[in-house]
Amino acid sequence: MLTPLVVDFPFEWNYIRSIIYVSLYVSLTAVALSTLFSLPIALFVGFKDFRGKTLVTSIINTGMGFPSVVVGLVVLFAVSNQGPLGSFDLVFTTEAMIMSQFVLAAPVITGVSLAAVSSVEQNVRDAAYAMGGTKLDVAFVTIKEARYGIATAVLAGFGRAISEVGSVLIVGGNIASSDGTSVTRTITTAIQLEARQGRFETAMLLGAVLVVLVLLVNAIVVRLGSDDGGYR
Amino acid sequence: MSIQRRQFMTAAAGAAGIGLAGCLSDDDRGGTPDINGETLTLTTTTSTYATGLLDELNAPFEDRYGVSVDAVPEGTGAALEHARNGDADVVMVHARTLEDEFLEAGYGVNRRDLMFNDFVIVGESDDPAGIASEDDATAAFEEIADTESTFVSRGDNSGTHTKEREIWDEAGLSDDGFGEWYLDGGGGMGETLNTANMEGAYTLADRGTFLDMREEIDLEIHVEGPVEGGPELLRNPYGIVAVNPAVHENVNYDLAMAYIGYVTSLEGQEIIEEYRSNDEQLFFPEALSEDSNFQQYVPEGWESDSDG
Amino acid sequence: MTLEAIDVRHAYGDETVFDGVSLSVDPGEVVAIIGPSGVGKSTLLRLLALFDAPDGGEITYDDTPIWQLSEKRRLEYRRRVGMVFQEASLFDASVRRNAEYGLRVRQSWTDRLRHEVADLVGKSNGTGQALEALETVGLREQATQDAASLSGGEAQRVAFARALAYDPEVLLLDEPTSDLDPRNTAMIEDAVMEARDRDIGIVIATHDMHQAERIADRVGVLLGNEIIELGATERVFDDPNDERTRKFIDGELIY
Repeated sequence: MLTPLVVDFPFEWNYIRSIIYVSLYVSLTAVALSTLFSLPIALFVGFKDFRGKTLVTSIINTGMGFPSVVVGLVVLFAVSNQGPLGSFDLVFTTEAMIMSQFVLAAPVITGVSLAAVSSVEQNVRDAAYAMGGTKLDVAFVTIKEARYGIATAVLAGFGRAISEVGSVLIVGGNIASSDGTSVTRTITTAIQLEARQGRFETAMLLGAVLVVLVLLVNAIVVRLGSDDGGYR
Repeated sequence: MSIQRRQFMTAAAGAAGIGLAGCLSDDDRGGTPDINGETLTLTTTTSTYATGLLDELNAPFEDRYGVSVDAVPEGTGAALEHARNGDADVVMVHARTLEDEFLEAGYGVNRRDLMFNDFVIVGESDDPAGIASEDDATAAFEEIADTESTFVSRGDNSGTHTKEREIWDEAGLSDDGFGEWYLDGGGGMGETLNTANMEGAYTLADRGTFLDMREEIDLEIHVEGPVEGGPELLRNPYGIVAVNPAVHENVNYDLAMAYIGYVTSLEGQEIIEEYRSNDEQLFFPEALSEDSNFQQYVPEGWESDSDG
Repeated sequence: MTLEAIDVRHAYGDETVFDGVSLSVDPGEVVAIIGPSGVGKSTLLRLLALFDAPDGGEITYDDTPIWQLSEKRRLEYRRRVGMVFQEASLFDASVRRNAEYGLRVRQSWTDRLRHEVADLVGKSNGTGQALEALETVGLREQATQDAASLSGGEAQRVAFARALAYDPEVLLLDEPTSDLDPRNTAMIEDAVMEARDRDIGIVIATHDMHQAERIADRVGVLLGNEIIELGATERVFDDPNDERTRKFIDGELIY
């Protein structure tokens, strides 16, 4: 438990590494789940006519701007011992944090993907169907055609998830164990903790780590996108 | 201390570890199998956590029992609210009035006094309200109100905020008595001190955070707390309370009591006594006394009916 | 093998596009549907391609009424038909992947996944049938190119190869050359002839009467909600039964 000292860095490497890990684990999981959830909705809303479509669209658009603290409070209410999911013992866990980030990221991913898939031309979809594609095949073609827009959607969702502090602080509790390993502490909640103590330099340093991380993930996704995944 | 905090903590942990080695190995008989591997959720205030004390205090406990302590640092109000909902097993806070409400409502059992430090009233060095001559916190607050000097409040229902309102109450000021000179900071202690520094304002701060930040701000102590011989009103006592298992049967009461037992033991109190941050003692143990101290178990001023 | 529309009616909302239309295509014949723009040629082709159910009448394949089948069974029939649209409507992918598309969707999911992975790591060298189809339209050399980099004419030829690659029994061509220059038009028409020689039945909707005269065995004239004339190309052009057909062919009928 008593690790050697790291002299020039204000935090132990183990501490930084574990909060980066928790941040990425929570946000990437939430974004992956949101994407799986959002794409079918975007396709459905984009190409099916049904009653209440305008309502659904406006719910999605409103959801893109949900304040994260409100989402945090709602999720806290749900997972709290007194709430409907109380028996699962989720308060102050990464699972609860994933839940709240899912709620935050899903509308963003749905909204931006909806715009992306809607811009796929109907005649390309018709072509896929005419070549013997099933409705599922047509959906896949649509996703492939809209892949840049969907990548943007996923990045926007990831950006919202990893940079938000309100809900993960409320439902996660900002816990680090006594040996300095993060349990539910993310980069953003660590920044918040430092800032509350008036330690703005260290907060700034963590902020830089966060920015670098977001840039890195963006670069990876853009790189994958420009590679075009073998569609050449 | 800000930058070197963690290295320092580790160094201190090493020192404390040597000091404690004897007592720990004595008790290292395999621990209690029933609670091995469990997690204790402790909701607490930012001050105990951010000063590094909790890490120091919890590590030996975790080692001995083979458990982990999830310490959730937040304001006293939020810490107690989580406990009320059964989302915490034990609470360590510093606002006696709020703790008492918590006990009276039946949510908490087995409260113990744990430790104390104190608050100080700080402000610009030129002291526009002239409070430096006061050795009475209430009188100092009255001066601030009379001269309408800017005052920054935490405004976050934290222990510090509760103490501040208590002093205003004594000074006879309530919500409608505040004017534009009274600012609601709504943030942590560090942020509040920074705001006060920028506004050239007064504020009530816990000594630990103030000492931590004094290099970076131009504020100085005008009224000392009891640690430096100031009024008892500025005393900042920390209590620890287990969540009542009869109200929330899901809470880990066994472990909560083991933890309370540990932090109020000779060993736990010694860690608190010896804990230093930048060579300053931040907390003073208060759990052990040869004399009886029944008031720590019950709401302040409480008397049993059968006494009468 | 015959794809047949029997007495079909189709409407968009209250507006009837056509009514009582019957048309069939046999293996190895080219049937042209001519008529002015907006008369419902595309709609008729979409019905034959089994996109939508007709509002009245029946679409049959080998005398099987298609719309009485389950969706799964209907897919089997749908997959015997290929279609080329007025716009190339290519996927944003390589020429080869476009040509392979019809073959891919007919494979099992595991095979498709295997192909996707092979493509991702650049190990796939393409399917023979798709490359043959590209050969037919003279674009085999361009297989690795990005579809977006093609000219309009080349793109339409890829679209033709895409429909040909999986060896359909019937090809439906909806104004396939109306946006093309004469050279590309000729190449498409050559490919149509080649497909006919492979015993594929072809229905081509066109407003270009000369094209119909060049390549069709039979011609149907769609005018005013119905097929007013249907017969061997030479007969329809030389000796139309309906006065409107003669006027349309002579260019006197202006819409």
